Amino acid sequence: MQDRYWRRTRLGRLIDGFEENAMAVLLGLMTLITFVNVVRRYLFNASLIWGLEVVLVLFAWLVLLGVSYGVKVTMHLGVDAVTNLLPSGPKRALAVLSGLLCILYAFLLMKGAWDYWAPFASLDVTSGRWFPTGFTPTRTRAFMETDQVPMPEFLQFLSGLINDGDRYGKLPDVVPYAMLPVGVALLLFRFIQATVRIVRGRTDTLIASHEAEEALDELYQTQDGAHRGRV
Amino acid sequence: MEVFLLFVLIVALLLIGVPIAVALGLSSTLFLLIFSETSLAAVAQSFFQGMAGHYTLLAIPFFVLASSFMSTGGVATRIIRFSIACVGHLRGGLAIAGVFACMLFAALSGSSPATVVAIGSIVIGAMVKAGYTKDFAAGVICNAGTLGILIPPSIVMVVYASATDVSVGRMFLAGVIPGILAGVMLMATIYVMARVKNLPAGEWQGWGEVGASFRDAVWGLLLIVIIMVGIYGIPGITGAIFTPTEAAAVAAVYAFVVATFIYRDMGPLATPAGQPNRSLFRHPWVLVTGFFHADTRRTLFEAGKLTVMLMFIIVNALILKHVLTDEQVPQHIANALLTAGLGPIAFLIVVNVILLIGGQFMEPSGLIVIVAPLVFPIAIQLGIDPIHLGIIMVVNMEIGMITPPVGLNLFVTSGVASMPMMAVVRAALPFLGVLFVFLILVTYIPILSTWLPTELMGPEIITR
Repeated sequence: MQDRYWRRTRLGRLIDGFEENAMAVLLGLMTLITFVNVVRRYLFNASLIWGLEVVLVLFAWLVLLGVSYGVKVTMHLGVDAVTNLLPSGPKRALAVLSGLLCILYAFLLMKGAWDYWAPFASLDVTSGRWFPTGFTPTRTRAFMETDQVPMPEFLQFLSGLINDGDRYGKLPDVVPYAMLPVGVALLLFRFIQATVRIVRGRTDTLIASHEAEEALDELYQTQDGAHRGRV
Repeated sequence: MEVFLLFVLIVALLLIGVPIAVALGLSSTLFLLIFSETSLAAVAQSFFQGMAGHYTLLAIPFFVLASSFMSTGGVATRIIRFSIACVGHLRGGLAIAGVFACMLFAALSGSSPATVVAIGSIVIGAMVKAGYTKDFAAGVICNAGTLGILIPPSIVMVVYASATDVSVGRMFLAGVIPGILAGVMLMATIYVMARVKNLPAGEWQGWGEVGASFRDAVWGLLLIVIIMVGIYGIPGITGAIFTPTEAAAVAAVYAFVVATFIYRDMGPLATPAGQPNRSLFRHPWVLVTGFFHADTRRTLFEAGKLTVMLMFIIVNALILKHVLTDEQVPQHIANALLTAGLGPIAFLIVVNVILLIGGQFMEPSGLIVIVAPLVFPIAIQLGIDPIHLGIIMVVNMEIGMITPPVGLNLFVTSGVASMPMMAVVRAALPFLGVLFVFLILVTYIPILSTWLPTELMGPEIITR
């Protein structure tokens, strides 16, 4: 795989480190909270009432944050059996086309993500069915709260900012949902980057052909390189 | 008609190299925008709720994590040692031990390619050294590796259960007997071939080695005990202890403890190969630092990445599922099939064919999310047991992984054994035949799948 992702700049390494640590921490927290809740239930007959809700939100955050990283390192699965049969010219043309389709997908999802999140933040949704054509005044949903998650005091400024000064008793929905527009915006950005990379000829694909590709690469590195099937 | 266009669009997008997740999501979104009233905000909402609203799917990251901790080298080696001690002395013993090791490893991990990489990277080389042909070795491991998704815990089963609202616990139990049966069929075939071809046999190393290797491997093998006892309880003593999702989280924590503090293959107590590991008693502070060690972070990150990859496909498949349900596609197909006078047997053949073809292009869990809601209502109408249908679908996925031209396990084996794809295809063919016979058995003898769950969890209630 000549197009395996590599880290070029100091800033790139910094961002990689942030994304990788964030994914590790999110998954670690999910596991620990669930585990602690099981233990508490059996040993102390008590549980963190917000445990499940928080774990599910962290799960969503993990995936929303991870998909854009996945585009960056070309790990999303696809079918390359057909494109691999083509000569390099048409192959690249198809790769550019699929890059544009991915951008369209992320763009539509971006509009959807904004429209879904905005009312919870007392903001206006966009008008237009396919493409945002402007903003429509929208009734706020900023008063909506999660079921059980306690409100941390340092986030209480939100009540003045979006909720007419009404203090929140529980964490408002605007916080967990915020990762939706953020994650999709990052996804859109990474798809644009990936398409530019293809146009410039730095890579010729958006997809990995199977989930064990990296495990195999590692295996090759540990074996002596003499008899490998591919590079 | 519109739905037909939708499927054509999906396949077209897949073939030009659009990522699977985007092909599913984009086609469904376009369909919704053109033919229905649904807004983009609703699509985005179902994207978020795909994770936050599915308690069952939450088991996936935890099982992936448990399997990542268990795949850190040492566990596979220990399981292989135990397998060789048990059956290595038979004719063709190393190959049989390879299948046995795959079965055991499948019980620790929910993924087939992971099983092939973990077991194959050690066993294939060892078999070649012991005098087997490389083709034979690759063929055996390629097929036995598919047991990963059939022997519980299995990620594909979690996805099926979530897509059709059947119990994950029942699905896991239902996989036990077919999983063992498939393993035994493969081993028996190897034994017969070994007799005929006079393949090498290892030496019987005595019960001492069986015991010693078992004691060494038992910490890893206990993982499956924790999961099964946790989900089902001990019959007669205790009821279920956790939900499958909780069991997965407990398994992940357990696997972390075993890998870091007991086997010490990773984390602060690990040392380069050949040197004795550091002792926990001399370094008690690692009980804290172990959680933040670079190896722990890396394993969490790798598991997170795999989770993201699977979930990106699954949430987009869920959007497609909404389209199909809104359009009442399953009902239309069901009616068409029923008026055509299709019986259960013909229906199951159709399912087999759809899945074998679909399995060529799609990642198994994504395919299940799409196909399960399509065939499930029909199967219920025809009186097919939902659990049985699930097992049939999983076995089909297995075979899809080793059917040319693009079976996933074929790729992975060709990498692990550094052989060209076509050579692996040829090598896998005889055992593929065995698995086909197995598929027919599982499809037409429902009791293989339904007996154990009914016995342990009582008869299931099917609402039509």
